[in-house]
Amino acid sequence: MRKRSRLPMFVTLGVLLFLYAPILVLILYSFNDSRYPGAWQGFTLKWYRMLLEANSVEARDIWRATRNTLVVAFAATIISMVFGTMAAWAMYRFRSRLQSLHQMLVYAPLVVPDILMGISLLMLFVNMSVNLGLTTIVVSHTTFCISYVALVVLGRLQDFDHTLVDAARDLGANGFAVCVRILLPLLGPGIAAGGLLAFTLSVDDFVITFFTAGPGSTTLPVQVYSMMRHGTPTLINALSVIFIIVTFSVVIFSQRVLQRKNNTHPHI
Amino acid sequence: MDGFIELRGIRKKFQGVPAVDDASLTLNRGEVFSLLGPSGCGKTTLLRILGGFETPDAGRIIIDGQDITDLPPNKRPINTVFQNYALFPHLTLWDNVGFGLKMAGRPRKFIDSEVERMLDLVDLLDHAEKKPHQISGGQKQRVAIARALINKPQLLLLDEPLAALDLKLRQRMLLELDRIHDEVGITFLYVTHDQGEAMSLSDRIAVMNHGKIEQIGRPMEVYEAPSSSFVAAFIGDTNFFKANVSASADADYSRLSIDKLPPVLAYNDKKLQTGQQVYLSIRPEKFRIQREKPSDGERLNMLKGKVLDIIYLGSNTKFRVECGGHILMITQQHARFMLDTSPLTWEEEVWVSWNADDGYMLQRYEEADTRLLNLPAEEPVP
Amino acid sequence: MKRSWREWAISLPSMGWLVFFFVIPTILVCGIAFKPRSINGGIGDGWTLGTWLDVLQPSYPLVVWRTLWLSGMTTLICLLVSVPVAYWLARLSREARNWMLLLIILPFWTNFLIRVFAWWSLLHSQGWLKQALAWVGLVSPDAQLLYNEWAVLLVLVYTYIPFAILPLFASAEKFDFSLLDAARDLGAGKLRAFVSVFLPGISQGMITAFVVVFIPALGSYAIPDIVGGPQSEMIGNKIAQKVFVDRNLPHASALATLLALVVLLPVLYSIFTQRRQKRGNGGRRS
Repeated sequence: MRKRSRLPMFVTLGVLLFLYAPILVLILYSFNDSRYPGAWQGFTLKWYRMLLEANSVEARDIWRATRNTLVVAFAATIISMVFGTMAAWAMYRFRSRLQSLHQMLVYAPLVVPDILMGISLLMLFVNMSVNLGLTTIVVSHTTFCISYVALVVLGRLQDFDHTLVDAARDLGANGFAVCVRILLPLLGPGIAAGGLLAFTLSVDDFVITFFTAGPGSTTLPVQVYSMMRHGTPTLINALSVIFIIVTFSVVIFSQRVLQRKNNTHPHI
Repeated sequence: MDGFIELRGIRKKFQGVPAVDDASLTLNRGEVFSLLGPSGCGKTTLLRILGGFETPDAGRIIIDGQDITDLPPNKRPINTVFQNYALFPHLTLWDNVGFGLKMAGRPRKFIDSEVERMLDLVDLLDHAEKKPHQISGGQKQRVAIARALINKPQLLLLDEPLAALDLKLRQRMLLELDRIHDEVGITFLYVTHDQGEAMSLSDRIAVMNHGKIEQIGRPMEVYEAPSSSFVAAFIGDTNFFKANVSASADADYSRLSIDKLPPVLAYNDKKLQTGQQVYLSIRPEKFRIQREKPSDGERLNMLKGKVLDIIYLGSNTKFRVECGGHILMITQQHARFMLDTSPLTWEEEVWVSWNADDGYMLQRYEEADTRLLNLPAEEPVP
Repeated sequence: MKRSWREWAISLPSMGWLVFFFVIPTILVCGIAFKPRSINGGIGDGWTLGTWLDVLQPSYPLVVWRTLWLSGMTTLICLLVSVPVAYWLARLSREARNWMLLLIILPFWTNFLIRVFAWWSLLHSQGWLKQALAWVGLVSPDAQLLYNEWAVLLVLVYTYIPFAILPLFASAEKFDFSLLDAARDLGAGKLRAFVSVFLPGISQGMITAFVVVFIPALGSYAIPDIVGGPQSEMIGNKIAQKVFVDRNLPHASALATLLALVVLLPVLYSIFTQRRQKRGNGGRRS
């Protein structure tokens, strides 16, 4: 047996370096005592202090944007969890013309570039003379989140054994009891995973928000964008690090929770 | 007997294709009744209609005088043991078994004592706190039975309950099912494609094919007196002969002429007239095969033939014998010590004989059913 | 009857939402492209083809070409790099594989803009990468690494690599690696076995990777906006410019329609090839 080529391994390590280097540099910059990204001027925590002290203008804007982001993400997540789960159930349960149409509708937003979705929603709101604000952002985010939730839940449903529903009905459960005692406990992790994805996508979204946000409804990514353009870039470094710490811990935590869930209820 | 459960003219089509076609059955109180047939014959659809998971296009279902055709599954006095058990993976065995009583809103104390009794019945009390994925297939099977029985249904449906188990376990579970049935005395409707399970467990069997019920009868009836070539070929092995009634020998027996064979005698329970065509089915083990010409017995048919193939199987041997262009499948049991005998060998001239009572006249014959036979005799004669 | 009522009840919320907030707005954009502009930056009455005449003016074909070129190059580089990565990941043990996958996905849980910004600060004239390259002598000290097509291409590749790795890995995971041994056994060289057995084996993943990289890349807006300059604008930048700077909504709509048409081509292509593959398999089976 001849030796396996090592090239793929080196490519992979190169990719990992490529992926992480900018983020590591970003973290280092956040401790650099210089107004602009550049030569090392010494260690400082002043950017973090500036962010956490509520009295600076930047900090006030950032915290307001953070609040907006969370409000939008929670609202869009909850609506899309309900609608997306229903959509997944419909596509799983029924095989009809209506469902092929349904499927097309659900998949289409996944392949359409953000900017097209952004501008078309903007046109809709302009046409309906709706004032742009948090509501329009929530509506826009829900529109793409439904598809992602439906996709994740549908994936979990592929392993779902529908005779469990038959069995519960057979043992005397009515529709409500089937939902509460069988479907929710078994599909809960899938719905939660879909919701988590929707939440992160909503928090992360810049382009669609940029088109559908109005004055005063700035979200964090939009705030970061305007700081990048007009403000103090170094402050963004510190903000990014906080952002990274929060998202990484959420991801790792949810990964562990979902994994533990999976261990106790393996799909048979 | 009492006609406790009645299915009248059940019909169901899926996308225009009939799955169940005018099926009527009557089940007696406390009996084990099997629906037997190949996959796709409509037996599972019929069971799902009984359970309330499918709505029939036509027909009624009556239990103890009450028409339950339009009741949803949760309102029927019927419970089901599903093929893949369908145990709730997020609940313990205890909670799985107690599910039905909980749905019925029974008091906690009552549920606890009943669950304990049922788990004890299936010998799983020690595993009550486990989840379904922590137990073996046979144990899951028993949980599924306990869960279905706890509501004291009037009818228990079992959908291929042993299909997922290996052979040894299947045989043990068959005995266990028998024991449980003796203990609870509920009517069982058992769906299977395995004739062995159906024969050993059932009081009566309905053989289904293409959505229709071909024959209903006790296991011995469907085996010994199959109504059609399908039943004869699906349950066990057999030999078919196309024959014409050439003369009646006496009140009960007729002489049949079969192509290229001397006339044979057969019991004519169908009261066929001379000249009518009929198909005869003779089971492989009904034949006797020997070197010497058997002495003329009363109503004994005998043919001269040549051995083509021998398959020694220990307790018995299968022969393929050619008689006048027909190829016969013959099974001989070995009651004696075989090493001391000089067994038959290939190309040997033999005598094949059978009693006139052992050839059974079929009501219906389909050429396609010969494909169900285990060793098709379709190669040309060398 | 009852069954179809249930189906409608459970399908209607999501279908209604998507029709109202996805299908109708898309049709609306196509419609507005044929409307005149009103003086106050809104949409005027009547119908016109004038916007389309503006859109077809000389500067746009160049932007369309650049968009296609940048997206195509991004897709090509992502595929070239991701195929060996997928190959290597698929041959790892289950546990190592899960860890590596997590490592690859993890950076992409950080905000998209922050990642673009990280590159901006690296490539910046005082940025460390720029300084390092200048120190080694690869670029002249006063060279500008930002605000050109190469910077845009680099960040596009950075952004879309995981989107290429994931589907390729998914199909490499299903690939039966003993086929490679069989090919070697029959006399194929290492590279030959890789190209003529492994690559066709993961073709489904390649099509998916192509779609999920190429299409979003076509609609890029933020990346060329931040690390690109006037000479590296893509259609997305023009759309945003028409909306936010020129307040010319019909013009922006016409550009969006144009982009939608460009996006439609690869989608139709992938649907077509999948159909043909399915039909091909079906034919062989029967």
